[in-house]
Amino acid sequence: MELTATTSEPPGQVNDTALRLRTREYARQQRKDLRMDTTDALRFGLGQIKDKISELENLGIKDVQGMASRIKRRKHATEEDMYRLSHAFLQGNANINAFAEVQGATQVIVKELTGTHMQRQIEAAECLCNFSLGEAHVCEKITALAGSYLVTLLNSQEPRLKRSCLWTLGNILATCRKSANMLLQMQLATKLWKIYTLPSDDLRGYQEDAGICLYLIATHAASSISVDDRRHIAENLHKKQPAEPAAEYYMYIVFQLEIVSKERDLCAQHFQHLYDFFMANLNIGFNTSADKLRTVYGVRVLANMFAARPSVGQLELQLEQLVNVLNQLFALRDTSLTMDLMQLLKNLMDAQLLDNELVLEHLRVYA
Amino acid sequence: MNLETSSELLLTKEQLQNILAKLTAGYITSAEPITTTPILPQYKKLGVLVDFDEIVEAKATKVPTYKNIVNAKTTQSQYYSCIQCRRQLPTAHLLDLHITELHDLYFAASVERGDKPLYACYIEECTMKFYMPSERKDHCITLHKFPVNYRFDQEKITKTKSRKKKDADAMDVDNVPSSNVGKLPYIKAFSFGHPTQRTFNTRKERGSDKALNDVQAMKEALEDMD
Repeated sequence: MELTATTSEPPGQVNDTALRLRTREYARQQRKDLRMDTTDALRFGLGQIKDKISELENLGIKDVQGMASRIKRRKHATEEDMYRLSHAFLQGNANINAFAEVQGATQVIVKELTGTHMQRQIEAAECLCNFSLGEAHVCEKITALAGSYLVTLLNSQEPRLKRSCLWTLGNILATCRKSANMLLQMQLATKLWKIYTLPSDDLRGYQEDAGICLYLIATHAASSISVDDRRHIAENLHKKQPAEPAAEYYMYIVFQLEIVSKERDLCAQHFQHLYDFFMANLNIGFNTSADKLRTVYGVRVLANMFAARPSVGQLELQLEQLVNVLNQLFALRDTSLTMDLMQLLKNLMDAQLLDNELVLEHLRVYA
Repeated sequence: MNLETSSELLLTKEQLQNILAKLTAGYITSAEPITTTPILPQYKKLGVLVDFDEIVEAKATKVPTYKNIVNAKTTQSQYYSCIQCRRQLPTAHLLDLHITELHDLYFAASVERGDKPLYACYIEECTMKFYMPSERKDHCITLHKFPVNYRFDQEKITKTKSRKKKDADAMDVDNVPSSNVGKLPYIKAFSFGHPTQRTFNTRKERGSDKALNDVQAMKEALEDMD
């Protein structure tokens, strides 16, 4: 009786169906997310795929030229076309150059990237990511034709698309300075800083990729970064916390982009944030290159901060903590680090932030 | 900097003061070759491996996504789409510009007045504003290195839209009978022997204005036949 009563009630049934559909949808989304996490691990360098997958279909220059001509003729690339091209690009530089030589073929991939079909957009972004494994002239071509879209799509809601764009941009930044300059004109640095400083509860983990891109900009194109971009980063320094992902790049980026310099007036909160970040982020072990990066550049940023001579009221320094950290760093007896530490000490003495005599008494510097 | 080479000795306070006295206070700049070798290993460029099964699966699920309303909604939610004209844009900023420039009457009035620049740059982070869409386009091409045929450009749509709008204005003022256009029956009433499926098909609604124009054209054609 109860069963018939429930089945004869149409509104309840409708709700039940909607609920089931929603549950199915959540399950599908979860599967998709898990699959995405799995595909994250599947990244290969140029030619590396041949060693890893033996049953791979061998695609040569003629195949690539054929596919390029076909997509150009049709003015459209299917998911399968882009999949095959992606694989071909992974197999060698010759394939990449062959595709780059076909006039108008890259534009078709760009067209798919900017279309309204999400799956094809993702495939196009992944295809461009593999295409960016090519040499500087290839990266220049990608930047000229798709750079603005890659930067725009960093705001996309689709995680795989966003991540592919970040990877592509990373490859381009590492290859070609001219392309890096062009991308910086598209205000890439500001956009990357926004992603880099996303709160740590964002589980997608874009911060790591954005941090790498900023690291590459700081290494290869620091001089090309605009005043506006520098100002934006300076104003938003406090948004990155030491416990968040990719925090090891923070001090390197701040130092290389000269965020703390005599041309820029940082406010008291920013100075305090930099000091607190350094203290919290420090791992004196010097065991990994990440530890070394955060320590060496943290010392340099701190030295520059003291050179800016913040007033005593602006900074809350604890003498005991600072001296303790400096002693541990001097004890590492790394030549270049010791030189930076001496400069830091000199700037600290000149800034008169602490009792200089007391600092010198407690310091243990090795000859 | 001349540090004494004896390794095990700690520097005295006086020695430290002497060394510091020789130094000049100042900034360490990134141009100084302090360390010759980079700390991190050279960045290795990596591609991404596409799993073809995923593409096949996505293709297979494509049909149900159109049939199933729930799935269709989640696919749509990846885009920023205009509720009025259903145009899909990749970012919130571009959608904001689209709505303001094409569907905001206050904005249109402000543009006509022309007392201040209103067209914001396509890049969200850029604060520049322009009097004309063409000025913005030039700015984006020259300064931000955008391609000439930028796909999310609103200018072309603005032109066609403004032409349509002029016609609409003309109809409101001059042609009284044409104000009844909004009261015309829905196109789906015509079937021409082919029964139409009665569903909540959103794709039909996309071009509702267009459909109304078609009705008008069809009415005229029918009158001609008579």
